[in-house]
Amino acid sequence: MAKNVLVELSEALANAAEQAGGATVLVNARRRLPGSGIVYAADLILTADHIVERDEDITVLLADGTDIPAKLAGRDPGSDLALLRLEHAAAAIAAPASEAARVGQLALVLGRPGSEGLQASLGVVSAIGGPVRTGRGGMLERYIRTDAISYPGFSGGPLVDASGKVLGINTSGLARGMPLTIPADLAWQVAGSLAAHGHVLRGYLGIRSQPVEIPAAGQKALKREQAIGLLIVGVEADSPASSGDLMVGDILVGVAGAPVTDHDELYSHLSAEWIGKATPIELLRAGLPKVVNVTVGERKL
Amino acid sequence: MQNFLKFSVTLREALDELVQSLQSSLVVVRGHRFGAGAGIIWDSSGLILTNQHVVGEDPPVVLLPDNREVEARLVAQDAQVDLALLAVQAPDLTAVRPAPSLPRVGEMVFAFGHPWGQRGYVTSGIVSAVGAPRTAGSQHSLMVIRTDAPLAPGNSGGPLVNGAGEVVGINAMIVGGDQSIAIPVSVAHTFVQNALAHPGSARPPDRPDLQGVL
Repeated sequence: MAKNVLVELSEALANAAEQAGGATVLVNARRRLPGSGIVYAADLILTADHIVERDEDITVLLADGTDIPAKLAGRDPGSDLALLRLEHAAAAIAAPASEAARVGQLALVLGRPGSEGLQASLGVVSAIGGPVRTGRGGMLERYIRTDAISYPGFSGGPLVDASGKVLGINTSGLARGMPLTIPADLAWQVAGSLAAHGHVLRGYLGIRSQPVEIPAAGQKALKREQAIGLLIVGVEADSPASSGDLMVGDILVGVAGAPVTDHDELYSHLSAEWIGKATPIELLRAGLPKVVNVTVGERKL
Repeated sequence: MQNFLKFSVTLREALDELVQSLQSSLVVVRGHRFGAGAGIIWDSSGLILTNQHVVGEDPPVVLLPDNREVEARLVAQDAQVDLALLAVQAPDLTAVRPAPSLPRVGEMVFAFGHPWGQRGYVTSGIVSAVGAPRTAGSQHSLMVIRTDAPLAPGNSGGPLVNGAGEVVGINAMIVGGDQSIAIPVSVAHTFVQNALAHPGSARPPDRPDLQGVL
């Protein structure tokens, strides 16, 4: 081929598809159309939770054509991710991009939906959004959107950059069929937790609360403009909240230094890193600011 | 920014050259069944390649790039690979350059044809997949190229071209609206060789579940 700029661009794109495609697998875990996945570690496949409809009799078809039986290692419906453990190790492992996706950059959507082999489509990163409450009781801190087409069976496959590094995991299972991409750093976090515990750890306080307005005097006492806090309306018995001296009537206004104005924020701040640790909870009690340390527990599923 | 501007200029120049070179080998094939399709000048001696489903029972009329209208002779057709070989008698024909190998997934490709009668229309995309789908009710499976370059009726028989201006396939089908299928040029090569060895040969259709681009 004569090396013009089109040929060079073509070769770069084909190289990216080939590199990431080597770690893109077919996941056979539902009745009709198979889905896709990526090789997360030598014997672990990261895929979309919604395409894993059964816990047993799962097979994974690697890029080299070998079909390997796999077992479910863990799933997180909230982020629509699942981890499968292969009976023996795969060769190529997917490499996450070291930098976050940027709007406008070229991106390939890859999938391995059938025996025909790797499939790809090209587009750009259209938008970075979030946080968004997913339809399955979870929160996605960030998501990526692309105009590259996700063909049937692409869920669980990667969005890759022009060098073949994984920008995220594609799924149509989070937003009523609309394809979204879970950014690589979040997906790898979830995968790490699934590999270690079989589920995603979440912090637990043991309170029931509702958003309330903070009166002007309260905001003055807080020394910041925060119009909304969470009024504690119930404390579970024998919970971190009860042993940590949280009381009905307190207005929760912050966790570990970050302001909290709604349930979503409380949920995302109560991440796994605080479990078992004394965590400063900022309150307004009887109109006065107060910080109490609560040892955050683990939320049971 | 400067680099991007420079890149976009060289990109435009490369695209210009590619489009110019392909237009000189792109013909209109007026069959009598489905209206017009596209075709390519396969050989400067007057061999024209198009889709079988574009060609009707009667000899088709071919509109050459320089607007000469010539009556074509049907040399051979094969419905299983959806290809037909025509022969025209005309001087000064520019043949396409076939690619030496199958394209790779991810490569940029350009489709040429006459969608909805718009002559010499170019669309672009990448190679989405290269493989042999298993189709219901079919004994053999045919190697095909899938692309996200949009096709419409009138694209049939036109070339799918790589960045170097080489023909990688003959556009043949739309599947599911957002993916198109092309017959690899290697299949076309074999078909032409057989056609020249056994002129007048015809094979009936064997793919009832794929919808042709009319």
